Amino acid sequence: MSSTADTGVSEVPLAMLRDGETGIVVSVKSGYGKAWGLKKRLMDMGITPGTRITVVKSAPFHGPMEILVRGYRLAIGRGMAERIFVRMEETRAGCAEK
Amino acid sequence: MNGKKLVIALAGNANVGKSVIFNYLTKLHQHIGNWPGKTVEKAEGTLHFKGYTVDVVDLPGIYSLSTYSTEESISRRFIAVEKPDVVINVIDASVLERNLFFTLQLMELETPIVIALNQVDVASKKGIQIDFEKLEKILGVPVVPTIAVKGVGIFKLLEKAVEIFEGKLEAKPRQVKYGEEVEERIEKLAEAVRDSGLPYPARYVAIKLLEGDREIQEEVEKSKPQAVALARSLGEELERLHGHSCPTLITSERYQAANYIAREVQKLVPPVKPTLGEKLHNVTTHRVAGYLIMAASLLSLFFFVFAVGNVFSDILTSLLYGFKPFFERVLGAGFFEELVWEGVVEGLIAGASVALPYIIPFYLALYFLEDSGYLSRIAFLMDSIMHKMGLHGKAFIPLILGYGCNVPACLGCRIMETQRERLIAAFVTTLVPCAARTVIILGLVGRFVGIQWALMLYAFDLLVVFLLGRIAFRILPGEPTGLIMEMPDYRLPHLKTVLSQTWFRLLEFMKIAFPLIIVSTFTVKLLEATGILRVFTSLLTPVTVAWLGLPAETGITLLFGVLRKELALIMLATLLGAADLSKALTPVQMTVFTIVSMFYIPCVATIATLVMEFGWRKALVITLSEIVLALILGGLSFRILILAGLT
Repeated sequence: MSSTADTGVSEVPLAMLRDGETGIVVSVKSGYGKAWGLKKRLMDMGITPGTRITVVKSAPFHGPMEILVRGYRLAIGRGMAERIFVRMEETRAGCAEK
Repeated sequence: MNGKKLVIALAGNANVGKSVIFNYLTKLHQHIGNWPGKTVEKAEGTLHFKGYTVDVVDLPGIYSLSTYSTEESISRRFIAVEKPDVVINVIDASVLERNLFFTLQLMELETPIVIALNQVDVASKKGIQIDFEKLEKILGVPVVPTIAVKGVGIFKLLEKAVEIFEGKLEAKPRQVKYGEEVEERIEKLAEAVRDSGLPYPARYVAIKLLEGDREIQEEVEKSKPQAVALARSLGEELERLHGHSCPTLITSERYQAANYIAREVQKLVPPVKPTLGEKLHNVTTHRVAGYLIMAASLLSLFFFVFAVGNVFSDILTSLLYGFKPFFERVLGAGFFEELVWEGVVEGLIAGASVALPYIIPFYLALYFLEDSGYLSRIAFLMDSIMHKMGLHGKAFIPLILGYGCNVPACLGCRIMETQRERLIAAFVTTLVPCAARTVIILGLVGRFVGIQWALMLYAFDLLVVFLLGRIAFRILPGEPTGLIMEMPDYRLPHLKTVLSQTWFRLLEFMKIAFPLIIVSTFTVKLLEATGILRVFTSLLTPVTVAWLGLPAETGITLLFGVLRKELALIMLATLLGAADLSKALTPVQMTVFTIVSMFYIPCVATIATLVMEFGWRKALVITLSEIVLALILGGLSFRILILAGLT
């Protein structure tokens, strides 16, 4: 998607994040008609614009990703992770959240 | 019993300990079945409390009250239409925010609520302290801290429910206030749908219309089509104002409200050391260790189920056969006795010795896996492989279990989220060669043709399962599958809950499967005794002899194989009059016979399970399509093997 690497802020699919990286949700693309339910479901699980998501790890063989969202652990399929667009955050080590 | 009745519904997210509370409340007075016409479990129970007969309904564990999943639709309808006197909303104290998101929607339904703030002990171990009195004040409903596994707070929960019912306690849920622009439009829309005749509050209908809820849209369309149009234009206005789609906006704002409340009432003290559960989670989802642990635990699960099953099976069989002399004495040996014995009692024995012994340890193991949280880790690891056949990771469990017995495997398909996934999983599961089919594969092909051929048949079966899974995924209508699954913290399963879940599901199984097994056994025996079976056999010769190239006798054996698959082999030996089957059948015939028995039909116990889970029609479709499949594969392989120069 649109990436403005020069400003240090980029909007990338969640699937691009490496283990341990954090992003703030910008949007969730719903894709075609029938996938509407999936988008709603993602949002119902707490993945709404502005939410902070941390990627914990990915399962091998292009498997699902384990993410931390709103204080709990969620596994989402690769396809889902490609629909969630996040803004990368410059995280410094030791920087406390909240 | 003074006739005072009270209906309580338990509602909440999955993995919050709802079923533990349900079991604690109702003990042995439960009934577990399905919601009418759905593959969603319905658990009901009764108890007596302060002169009331209390009916408790355990609603499915859900995360929202929209209608894209059957579970959510069922829960919403139940609360709005059946109007339980009180809803006990069980929430997990350690994941407060997401749980409150659901609570806020319950409050929008304007139903009397008591909140069970569960697992407060786990939360405090994780460094989360919750001021429940403050939560009570903010939400406007009673909040009771509970530790369900220890029974703490359950009595108080019931007390509050009764107080609300008697009007002694006010439970006036506060409404979530959305942003000003949204709020304005909700009010406008609520006015427009006020007399739409729907069972929901007007404000709720308005919110759901703006959220793009399809079911509500369709219902409102019937009585007030102009309201749907209004919702659309209001939604577009909001979209222009905020730059997000309207459903996104509403969901976000509701989450913001939940976030605000959670932050108001909880104090976070991050624990210094990672908990044991945390470490366990890391190991069990590790890219190498995770798979090793999974293989080890599934193998031990498999052996546990079948070792325990075999012991029980033997005990039950010899016990039940012990009644035979008694039977002969009462009925006198002869035609009638034989019919009753072989038709009814042996059917019962088949059911009791084939299905039952395996179901008990299977259910125990499955609930243990599920309640502990390990199941979700397996799904996480296996998702990408299972995805290739249109299913997600959880389907791996029933598939593996299918190698033992298809019956528990089909029952295990319940763990899938949607009706469609359940059906696909059950369909492919019935094609997996169970222990009985293994008897045929190894006992016929493995013994007389060669073990490498037997192994090839297994590989062939796997290929067919894989391909058909893909095809079924393409053909069946419905949403594409994608994994969105919570991985809850590990915890020790609550033994009493696991036991009672096993027991009540077993009862349900016996109620449905046994009559079917007995009736079909009786029918086959009756057909045999009256000679009609012979006629069938000759009618089947175009298929058995001409198309499959098998001896005519196989017609009968395949019919009997429906009752128990390994019977097909046992009867074959008897009918062909040869203990050494290699003298009666060619290697090609053996291979073809094995292929046909591998695929042709789920056995009667499996069919009964399919009926119980999916209804008659779908069970019939699966059965028939598998017969056709077996015949096609059998006929083709006969010709290919002959062409390949085998005899």
